[in-house]
Amino acid sequence: MPDVVIPIGPHHPALKEPVNFRIIADGEKIVRLELNLSYNHRGIEKAAEQRNFTRVLPLLERVCGICSHSHATAFAKGVEEIMGLEIPPRARYIRTIIAELERMHSHLLWLGVAAHEIGFDTLFMWVWRDREAVMDTLEEMSGNRVHYNMNEIGGVRCDLTPGQIEAALSRLPPLEERIKKYLDMVSSHETLLIRFRGVGRMTREEALQYGAVGPTARASGVDYDARRDDPYLVYGEIPWNVVTDTSGDVYGRTRVRIGELWESSQIVRYCLEHLPEGPIRADAPKNAPKGEILSRYEAPRGELVHFIRTNGTDKAERLDIRTPTLANWTSVAKCLVGHSIADIPVIVAAIDPCLSCTSRMVVVNKERGSGAAAAPCGCIVRQRPAARDRRET
Amino acid sequence: MSDPLQTLAEIFIFPGFLFLVAFALFMAFLDRKIAARMQQRIGPPLFQPLADVVKMLGKEVIDPDGADIRLYDIIPLIAFAAVMTAFLYIPVTGYSPFAFTGDLVVVLYLLAIPAPSLFLLGWLSRNIFSTVGGIRAITQLFIYEVPFFLALLSPAIMAGSWSISAIVSWQQQNLWFIFFQPIGFIVALVGLQAKLERAPFDIPEAETEIIAGPWTELTGRRLALMNLTFSIALVAGSALIAALFLGGPVLPWTLAPAWLNPVAGMGLFLAKTLAVLMLLSSIRVATGRIRIDQLTDIGWKYIAGAAVVQVGIVLVINWLWVVP
Amino acid sequence: MSVLREMLANLLGRPVTIRYPTEKVPIPETFRGRIAIDDDKCIGCSKCTLVCPAQVITMVDGPRDVQFRGKAFSRKKRPQVRLYQCIRCGICERHCPTGAIHLMHEYAGTGTDREVVVT
Repeated sequence: MPDVVIPIGPHHPALKEPVNFRIIADGEKIVRLELNLSYNHRGIEKAAEQRNFTRVLPLLERVCGICSHSHATAFAKGVEEIMGLEIPPRARYIRTIIAELERMHSHLLWLGVAAHEIGFDTLFMWVWRDREAVMDTLEEMSGNRVHYNMNEIGGVRCDLTPGQIEAALSRLPPLEERIKKYLDMVSSHETLLIRFRGVGRMTREEALQYGAVGPTARASGVDYDARRDDPYLVYGEIPWNVVTDTSGDVYGRTRVRIGELWESSQIVRYCLEHLPEGPIRADAPKNAPKGEILSRYEAPRGELVHFIRTNGTDKAERLDIRTPTLANWTSVAKCLVGHSIADIPVIVAAIDPCLSCTSRMVVVNKERGSGAAAAPCGCIVRQRPAARDRRET
Repeated sequence: MSDPLQTLAEIFIFPGFLFLVAFALFMAFLDRKIAARMQQRIGPPLFQPLADVVKMLGKEVIDPDGADIRLYDIIPLIAFAAVMTAFLYIPVTGYSPFAFTGDLVVVLYLLAIPAPSLFLLGWLSRNIFSTVGGIRAITQLFIYEVPFFLALLSPAIMAGSWSISAIVSWQQQNLWFIFFQPIGFIVALVGLQAKLERAPFDIPEAETEIIAGPWTELTGRRLALMNLTFSIALVAGSALIAALFLGGPVLPWTLAPAWLNPVAGMGLFLAKTLAVLMLLSSIRVATGRIRIDQLTDIGWKYIAGAAVVQVGIVLVINWLWVVP
Repeated sequence: MSVLREMLANLLGRPVTIRYPTEKVPIPETFRGRIAIDDDKCIGCSKCTLVCPAQVITMVDGPRDVQFRGKAFSRKKRPQVRLYQCIRCGICERHCPTGAIHLMHEYAGTGTDREVVVT
């Protein structure tokens, strides 16, 4: 068959959110592809610059539904550091508990979606059934299954009662049983292994060159985790491990994520059992002093970076968000070349793409008037310029 | 030859058109219900497949731009007619009223028609996803058809006849073929799963890769017909395997009141066909989809190999023992 | 294989689906549902109006007498929430000094009359 152009997206059953690849394929083998991101740009950065610190956190939570707490916490801890505010230990522990529960629910969601992408709907149904335990815990603690709104500048919005702690602790052991069972299933199920092993392999050097972050990079042996290398909340004080793998393919990423699931459940248990007494918030000033900060946070998908510049008012002057999915797209573009069409959903799902997160930054080329960036592998990564970038900063 | 009215009744009512469609809808329901319960879901109610067919018949038919509409309308009808005709030769309450020597070959050929019709539909759709899906359907056909035929040939060789009803009567006097040819049974099940394009072989229809493959541009009555075709193919294939390997709808002895025999036959038919369906549903639930190049690998190495080994064993047995 | 064993166990067991609306999921205490305003407690300070992220609260006329910290006050304004735009974040509940504005457990908030959805 001669070269054909297969458009994947923006509407496609494999994608949970709109993104567009144009795949140039020779039969079933992919020769080249072009990425078009930015279908989900909503102007959140500009909207965030117009809301004061009390009102901005729910907006930032809605950058992404699955990693909502990540964005809110990254911003909150960044502003607190500019203000020089020390939040009480109980608040830090509660933030960590919610963060790790969010990581668990995100990884369980990913495992189900990855199984669905290869047509293994049974594992999808089972994993999402077990995910309900995490969602129930989050709902009991914060009042909502996603968008927990637990953060305030200075601490957390509401406390954990002993009843909630006990209920959460009682849900953990059966969940840990299931996680062990899924690790067992994933390493022994034939169709899963032949679809995941050897697919989308990326060496450590390539992962570093293309800027991959999170479990995508850790599966290739890049030993970087923002929780350990730039500690925040309570990660510097409690025992936990970074999970890496050396295979670099989709199977490695699966193992890393299931390993992180296990680690997260241990962290949640430790924090729940060692929750210190005390207040849950500190008095925060209304205005933040002038300053700039780069706040790093390990979201479920990788390293999330918030750049915040404040100027003495009660609003952020400039907020720039670099999400992990944006960093991982180039690795997808690189990994897909040479594989077959059937591997597209597998490799795309392996970075755990969250397009709502991705569409933040636009590279504007003033001479050509449009945004385009050529990745070193010869694929074109293009983002549509947003209206906000034509203003004078 | 019985009178024309009875033949017409056999073709259109029992065990022909009406019974077949009703049973196909029931099997489709059972398949989805079993799969759902294994996944701890509730599953559809009893009339869901019927409701689906009725709903789809009433939907708007969208013709793809530039496609050959006459062919587009005829191909689902041809596929539908083929699988329905195939079922006429499969025994339901005893022996098929239309049995003749060689009907096994006719059934196999008729059951092989849905896959190339999907390929044609995919090719005619002028849609890149359909084309890729159609090509996958034909590639898959080449891979599984050979082992499937070989596996179903082995009972014919051992029974010494090309007629399904004769094979069933051979099993009535001896043992079920599954005891003589377990490898053949497994290969036949795998081949049937690939023929029906169910997981792990739903490669032509891969929802997350090529939207719906050749089914993408089918709408309205065409989609209803093709869906019904595959449901009927499920019935025909399961009944065929039940007849060839599990003894078919006959007891090893005749019952005293003569009318009890067809009733017992019906009961056996239901039980054995549904047993085969259980196995097929379990395979569907337990696996994910494999890639077409992996299927080529596995198909030619293991499945075709097993089928050839099975035929070899049968030939050896036939040569060593004179089987009555 | 573990998958096969679990499949068979599930086939012989019950589904986990909760058949809404005949069965309902138990709602936790902290659930953030529809806003309710308690006129007896509200002192009309407009703090909720200021902190609402979605800016859905406006102060409207509502003269009444309230008790606050042992003294009686005559207040003129009360908050009105556009329920169809409320994102149920709970920040108003967190900042209200008297606990007058709070989120109930009601989650099914549909209606056909726009007046119904403004509290």
